[in-house]
Amino acid sequence: CSRLHTKPSISPTLLLSNMYQRPDMITPGVDPQGQPLDPRKIQQHFEDFYEDLFEELSKYGEIESLNICDNLADHMVGNVYVQFREEEHASEALRNLSGRFYAGRPIIVDFSPVTDFREATCR
Amino acid sequence: PSHSKSKRTSGFDMAPPSANLLSSAPMQDQLPGVPQPLPGISQSM
Repeated sequence: CSRLHTKPSISPTLLLSNMYQRPDMITPGVDPQGQPLDPRKIQQHFEDFYEDLFEELSKYGEIESLNICDNLADHMVGNVYVQFREEEHASEALRNLSGRFYAGRPIIVDFSPVTDFREATCR
Repeated sequence: PSHSKSKRTSGFDMAPPSANLLSSAPMQDQLPGVPQPLPGISQSM
């Protein structure tokens, strides 16, 4: 990847690092106990997560887009990108989310330089 | 289709359990040791 991954001091977009964890993150299609997982369960799990996030983030301002990486590769795994209409709303959300937990894990939140997700693919 | 499930609790502000996250062994029978406050001792910074 040749992109510069600089963290801007202000941006309408926030990155929540490694926040989404697939139920089958260890082995695709299988839960950590080794039981096969119904693909609908995995989808439901993802949708619940999306709903939680959307609901929480909407408190801080209008959301332009919400992207959740549910890939299984190491790169960007579980990263959540949320773009607000206004930079102030993003910084409000950043202030409010810092130091909190989601599902027992700390929320790691930073500004992200990404403003156009069609251009954001990093290969 | 009826999607009338009651609202889940959000995962937000779900703090990590005090037990080690890596140990998945059931520990229900174990009472956590509650540290007793020491009477008469106040800590000065």
